[in-house]
Amino acid sequence: MIFLESPNGDEVKEVEATPKVLTPLLVMGWRQVPAPPKHETVILANAKEEK
Amino acid sequence: MASVNELMNGWGFGQQGTIASPSIVTPNTAATIWRHTNLNTKPWAKVPVNEDDRAEIGKGHEFPTQLFKSHYNMPTFEVSKYASSEFLAWVMSFSLGNVTVAGAAAPYTYTVVPALGATNPTGLELPYFSFVQQIRPGGSAILDEILVGCAVKGWKLSIKNSPGRASAMCSAECVTTGMYTSPSGITLPAVMMPHEFNAGMISALTINGINYLTGGSGKQFVSLDASWENNFRPGFFPGSGTQDGFQIQGRFEWGDRAFAVQFVVRVQAGSTEYANLINQTTGSATITFTRDTNNIFTMDIQKMGFNVVELSNTDGIVTLQVTGVQLYDAVNGLVTMSITTPQGGICQ
Repeated sequence: MIFLESPNGDEVKEVEATPKVLTPLLVMGWRQVPAPPKHETVILANAKEEK
Repeated sequence: MASVNELMNGWGFGQQGTIASPSIVTPNTAATIWRHTNLNTKPWAKVPVNEDDRAEIGKGHEFPTQLFKSHYNMPTFEVSKYASSEFLAWVMSFSLGNVTVAGAAAPYTYTVVPALGATNPTGLELPYFSFVQQIRPGGSAILDEILVGCAVKGWKLSIKNSPGRASAMCSAECVTTGMYTSPSGITLPAVMMPHEFNAGMISALTINGINYLTGGSGKQFVSLDASWENNFRPGFFPGSGTQDGFQIQGRFEWGDRAFAVQFVVRVQAGSTEYANLINQTTGSATITFTRDTNNIFTMDIQKMGFNVVELSNTDGIVTLQVTGVQLYDAVNGLVTMSITTPQGGICQ
């Protein structure tokens, strides 16, 4: 899997790295970009308030 | 005095600058330069050109009296190699321009299509690389320079029905701006041992609906020549730069690009090449070399018809010489190159 960015840069999507999948996108001008940083959800809980 | 056998060639497998910030003037570092042998036995010449004042009147005579620095007229340079997964990945990436690479570790798979000016981040320009040539580098070097701002102008891929490495060859024609640094400051690595292909390793060979590996047309294929030409426009412009006081080129923009494919097959009863031409039949073409799971090259021509089918004679065997016309498909474009190779970082 690799990440491609749309020609105008407003969309990034992860696609299967096979010629069949990549070719139509590359022809449209999509280009490879580094994987975006992973988003981790951190839940901060205040124990005292919860009580 | 030095033998040409001492000439060492190295060049950037990675591109100058970065993908996010490509550059024609920032040379490759040693970390992104590999060293290869070359069947072209000539060094890349630098040709500074002077001009004179012979055309100017007012001197009292028609003869020149002064020299003026003009420009670096850098000739093209051919890198000629036996086809290998590494070299094909490099040639296709730098000549076509729209490159993806998959794989966190070797082998890496590159998928490459021709860039389009409308969507290419660098407009009509392709990635650039640096070229190092050295003879006895060090304190008493005979030759040690790095040419900066090189690009692949075109390539030729030939497949023949002969034994050995020469049965599958690829050559790249390169251009350079005229910018250089001497001494190069680069310590070249050991000569790379590429994973070469030969014609016996072809594992798929289907052109316009005709399978030349199996079935009725099996064993009938003789040879194939494919080529790409970027037809670069001259790169001199106001502000293009100077080297030693001579003007240099500051860009290589592709012109009308050309993709040519010709092949030769033996004639047999029921050969359909003529029918395909007369009926204007079009179809895809797939040519694959498979050395092993780590070294594979596939050229997928998306839509191909036949322009000329000519009856001929090849070494006493009646053959058809077919000239293909590669059509641009609205969805899949012109051609897709897919290369699996142990070498990472190509054109990155």
